[in-house]
Amino acid sequence: MKIKQTAMAGTLESSDIQITLSDGQGVNVDLDSSVKALYGDEIIRVIKETLKEYDITDVQVKAVDKGALNCTIKARTMAAAQRALGTADQPKWEAF
Amino acid sequence: MRQLNIKIARHRRPWQNFLAKQGISGFAPSELMPVTATFAWYEEDQMVATGSLAGSTIKYVAIAPDYQEGGRTFNQVVSYLINQAATAGHFHLMVFTKPQYVQSFSYVGFHLLAQSTYGAVLETGTPDINDYRHCLPQFNGEMRSRIGAVVINANPFTRGHLALVKRASAECSGVYVFVVSEDRSLFTTDERRQLVAAGTKELTNVRVVPGGDYMVSSTTFPAYFLKDQDTVVHYQAQLDADLFKRQIAQPLGIKRRYLGQEPFSATTAIYNQELNSVLPPAVEVKIIPRAQNAAGDVISATKVRQMIADGDVDHLSMMVPPSTQQFIVENLPALQQRISERKHQA
Repeated sequence: MKIKQTAMAGTLESSDIQITLSDGQGVNVDLDSSVKALYGDEIIRVIKETLKEYDITDVQVKAVDKGALNCTIKARTMAAAQRALGTADQPKWEAF
Repeated sequence: MRQLNIKIARHRRPWQNFLAKQGISGFAPSELMPVTATFAWYEEDQMVATGSLAGSTIKYVAIAPDYQEGGRTFNQVVSYLINQAATAGHFHLMVFTKPQYVQSFSYVGFHLLAQSTYGAVLETGTPDINDYRHCLPQFNGEMRSRIGAVVINANPFTRGHLALVKRASAECSGVYVFVVSEDRSLFTTDERRQLVAAGTKELTNVRVVPGGDYMVSSTTFPAYFLKDQDTVVHYQAQLDADLFKRQIAQPLGIKRRYLGQEPFSATTAIYNQELNSVLPPAVEVKIIPRAQNAAGDVISATKVRQMIADGDVDHLSMMVPPSTQQFIVENLPALQQRISERKHQA
């Protein structure tokens, strides 16, 4: 499934991550993180897994990480996904 | 955090004083007018940080010295600006800043596009420079052997522009004609691009493409952080040249750039001079003398716009190709209307 509109969630403050979803082919994650060498693969895995729960298969992801924990990465990705799909008013509880 | 309306003197003065203390002193109307939103952060009623948006450009970011440690406040400000811009539908942001702040913006996900002695330009979000290049047509095989480029505003497309493109077309295997996208001219971006395409239709090795956010005309680079107004033109020209060289010419294989000689404008003369010092040897610069029409007059788009204002359509054919002339004749009342509206605004 493609997204309906470009959307963003999160901030650039410490322990947060900013996720932007825009139109793309396949799931492509462009990650900026000071801990990319250590945790880059894990961050990308959490983002991709969360997007899968929303059946999003074609999206360009831009992630700017400021040392977020997995739960934060998941929460921000969910918020961005719901905004991108225009379903922000119907939280998908199963995704938790 | 409060939102300020810098159009109101009561809001603008303390904000301006704060920026001046941090070494930012460019408050010309041309810099202030485009600002769409300004935010300020306070600690016990003292301003400690500020940042502004001008559409999709981040401007006037300053943090008080006591709050710069670790970049925490800076990240908070930039992050807030990015979210505000996103709410307004701008997901691609640019920032023009002093070279020493390139690092700070890189930490929050910005990528450097170009740099000069006086300033740098960075971008973040989508669509970015890679997406832009991806949308451009490619020259293949034999046509790749010598690629040339022309950058024009074409407001509107004249016989002078045509002569420049023809020269490039004759000397190169393939030619990109970048039409500046900024919508500040009498003719809209679409009109300008269509007239360039119509006027160069017979030149089969020419591709007319939009300049996107990356061919910024000299009037639009923010320069508020520069103290000395004399350096502004040099800064803008160097940045424009470096951006073209790094992000456009090298990836696309452009080997030559054609410029029209500008005998009447000191600004353009400096511009051409800076391009000439930044682009070679990677990109050869060819400066072509101004074309003259049959009557021996120098052709210029300024004169064409004056003719439109005067309703003098009979002599247009001396200045513009038939496609542009036809468009002007068909849309004369609408164009004159736009000219008079502009006068009222000014």
